[in-house]
Amino acid sequence: MELNEEIESSEQQEKRARSAAQRRAEIRRRKLMLNSEDRMKKIVGFSDTDASTGGVVEPRLYLDLDRNEPWSSTASQKRLLPHVSEVAVSNTDPSERVDSDDAAGEEEASRGVRQRPRGELSGEEHSPSPRRGLQKYLCRFDDAMKLRGQLANEKAAQEESSADVEELDSFRFFRLAGSVGLAVFVRIFVCQYLSIFAPFLTLELGYMGLHKYFPKVEKKTKTTMLTAALLLSGIPAEVINRSMDTYRKMSDVFSDLCVYFFTFIMCHEVLLLFGSETV
Amino acid sequence: MATGFNWFLVLSAVFLCNLVKSLLPSISSCLSKLFQKDAEQETGMRMEIQNMRMELSTVNMMDEFARYARLERKINKMTDQLKTLVKSRTAQQAKMKWIVNIAFYILQAALMISLILKYYADPVTVVPSKWISPLEKLVAFPSGVTGGVGITCWLVVCNKVVAIGLHAVS
Repeated sequence: MELNEEIESSEQQEKRARSAAQRRAEIRRRKLMLNSEDRMKKIVGFSDTDASTGGVVEPRLYLDLDRNEPWSSTASQKRLLPHVSEVAVSNTDPSERVDSDDAAGEEEASRGVRQRPRGELSGEEHSPSPRRGLQKYLCRFDDAMKLRGQLANEKAAQEESSADVEELDSFRFFRLAGSVGLAVFVRIFVCQYLSIFAPFLTLELGYMGLHKYFPKVEKKTKTTMLTAALLLSGIPAEVINRSMDTYRKMSDVFSDLCVYFFTFIMCHEVLLLFGSETV
Repeated sequence: MATGFNWFLVLSAVFLCNLVKSLLPSISSCLSKLFQKDAEQETGMRMEIQNMRMELSTVNMMDEFARYARLERKINKMTDQLKTLVKSRTAQQAKMKWIVNIAFYILQAALMISLILKYYADPVTVVPSKWISPLEKLVAFPSGVTGGVGITCWLVVCNKVVAIGLHAVS
């Protein structure tokens, strides 16, 4: 009987302990769920402010400081402030930084949050701007690291595949063949009457029209040092792509011109040679 | 005035330069193999590691733990030594590649400059000026001869054509 009572009491104790543990787990889970929403909002808010001009951060911080909410939401605010202050020290990912829990930093931040009066705007106006600049710098730093990684990967891929140059697609081959053919034709029949560059210009105009009838080859945009530097300097990727596209077209025209002129001169020299031999 | 085959001489020089440029990786790898020390040692170590691994696979860890552990330590030690050796060989190869590339570019620059200086005043070939109008001055630069094809224009054209040709062939 006594043994049974002992067993029952121990079981009851265990149940009580389990229920207390379960309760604590439940409380922790609820806090995490509430915090995750706030955290996501802040992450999305920060990424939005990077794209646009920074005016959004300031009111968000002011609003966060003014809110009088329970611990779970203020904890995320406290995490924001140590995140901003610690960001100069560490070089971790933004997602990791946002999620990092520094208890000491939280205490300092909470003291700082509570001590600041609500009506004091001027201090808030000045402090977000260095934070904004710091955020911007960190975003650029992250972009630079990503581009560096991308460059390293592309270089490794190029070394492995050893297929660095673009392949001659059908349209390019057609262009070159057309330039050679036209040069021979012009040397034999046309050059006595007009400049050799006039037929070449006509040919290029024809190519512009014929381009759409050939299968399009998707050219992979390679990340080079130049494109990485241009991206980091703030030029949009779309502008860079269009410029690279224009540059590619111009280089195609230049290649055609070189092949045309070379073939013309070679024809001329061969005809001179045969002409001198027959004479 | 231009002699008969100046254009051919410039074209040959450009072709040779581009050909050597395309062969640079194989040249640098040949030279690095020539100057490489401890090549046999590396292959010996690899064989030894392979043999030890085969021996390790035959040893039962439960029954002969001491022997297994001793063998594993030997393998790890030899693997570390091999890694150091491979690292130094790779560094030497990179250094050789760098030296070969620099030497080639210096020689190429010297050749181009000498060609430009030789044909500075003479065009490589002459054609009637109305054929190449309105760009006759640009084409004739720096010779200034009416209807002539200057060395710079011909070098640029030859470089481009040879590069396209070698790319198509390779």
